[in-house]
Amino acid sequence: MSLSPGVLLRQGFLALIALFLAAPLIVVVSVSFNATRRMSFPPTEFSLRWYRAFFSDYGWMASLERSLTIAGLAALVSVAVALPITYAIWRYQAKVAALLAGIGGALFLIPGVVAALMLSAFWGVTGHVGRLENVVLSHAIVLLGIPLSLLMVGFRTIDQAQVEAAYTMGARDSDAFRMVVRPAMTPYILCAFVFVFVLSINEYLIAYMVAGFTVQTLPIKIFANMRQGYEPTMCVAAVIFMAMGFSAFALMSKVADLPRLMGRTRPLED
Amino acid sequence: MAVVPAFLMVQLSLAHREVAGLWSPGFELTQYRQLATPLFARIMGFSLMLALAGALICVSLALPAAYFITRMRRRAQVAWLVFLLGSLSLSEVLIVFAFQVLLSTSGTLAGALTTVGLLAPGASLYPNFPAVLTCLVYLLLPYVILFFYPALSQLDPEVEQAAATMGASRLSTFTRVVLPMMRGQILTGVLLVVIFTFGAYLTPLVLGRPPQWTIAIHINNAAMGAGNLPLAAAYAVSVVAFMVALLVLTRVLSRRKASEA
Repeated sequence: MSLSPGVLLRQGFLALIALFLAAPLIVVVSVSFNATRRMSFPPTEFSLRWYRAFFSDYGWMASLERSLTIAGLAALVSVAVALPITYAIWRYQAKVAALLAGIGGALFLIPGVVAALMLSAFWGVTGHVGRLENVVLSHAIVLLGIPLSLLMVGFRTIDQAQVEAAYTMGARDSDAFRMVVRPAMTPYILCAFVFVFVLSINEYLIAYMVAGFTVQTLPIKIFANMRQGYEPTMCVAAVIFMAMGFSAFALMSKVADLPRLMGRTRPLED
Repeated sequence: MAVVPAFLMVQLSLAHREVAGLWSPGFELTQYRQLATPLFARIMGFSLMLALAGALICVSLALPAAYFITRMRRRAQVAWLVFLLGSLSLSEVLIVFAFQVLLSTSGTLAGALTTVGLLAPGASLYPNFPAVLTCLVYLLLPYVILFFYPALSQLDPEVEQAAATMGASRLSTFTRVVLPMMRGQILTGVLLVVIFTFGAYLTPLVLGRPPQWTIAIHINNAAMGAGNLPLAAAYAVSVVAFMVALLVLTRVLSRRKASEA
């Protein structure tokens, strides 16, 4: 392709978008390597001291561990709920399952603060307040729309003819599941898990309103520190988030067909 | 598990408020009467204005960006998708924090603007309306680009080629062929931005001043600060009702547009 004005304009536009999206991240990453306590950009002197401070601080490590636990369990629960629902829709065209999926998808469209309020009222009424499992279940429910839609994409890629062939050759449901469905679905299940995990670990408002006083997750701790003023270890926490998010999705792109997962059905040549 | 909290919230909004954050079941409209004030109308109006401004910027940036991305080669597309998903998933806490660092008085941006003379020395770039709007656009842009991605990648390249053979320039192909096909998607994209903006809590709280506080902050203040759960629930029910109305409106609009086309 020659460098016509149109191409230049297009590349410039995309570069600006990328710069806009990257700018705050670049600032935070470079400030985290700064030697001084003051927030100054560009950094003056390279140092790892805030990383050492972060990893030897009991409070930060406890929050990190708590966040990882919540995210892991929430991802597990929401995938475990979404899998039978989507399987029933795909295999038996089950109406009930479709209704459940509809509710799960609708939840995703509720403004975050409203969902948070609903859930905190729910836990308040059940008298089960300020517990870790509240956050786990709340995240699993609110994020349910993600595994539902990703797994549906996955099931649609399975060739029905292949399943029929398995049945004609005398396979039972469990055999067909093991031989056709499971291998085809494994990358999608993995992606759904990673997606929910990453979103859960980053979520602030629901975690805060459901159990914020007793269960301090990493975002809650960052925000609490933010109100007390600037501290370089916060940047380190932020960098950890970014590293986790970007590597999770990079990994996902290796395991699965990312364009297809994001809704492209038209084939894409290399 | 999903439906119960929703019913509970409606019930709560009708409940009787007692002292110290407690409430007893009941059926009264006290909370809703409290909402019928100019203040509530002003908050809703501001939230909607912020949302529509954000939607306008997001959609007009996201649409061409998504269009270009869908026409890239596979490797470049995957790289963009990873980048967008990565920044999409970043916590609002982090983004707000990063913006705070970026916009702070000691930051480079403020320094550069002061040197050029666009900013008075020592002045801060936040809290104010542009800061809130920029941060919201930042949070929503990857979301909206990814929302447009499936539909744009589904567009048949042959249609565009046909337009090109008939002598249409790239720009007019985009505005005359691609945009009309995307009408319904664009309206839904606007709705997404509106929903998110109404739910946004941290951005206006940290980067804005009280006049820029959206409905989400008032819900949270009522629930966590004042301990008035019924009032918070009444706010929330009104917001959801408003969202449903918008959803119906976009459905009607996109259907009418489709039948015209």
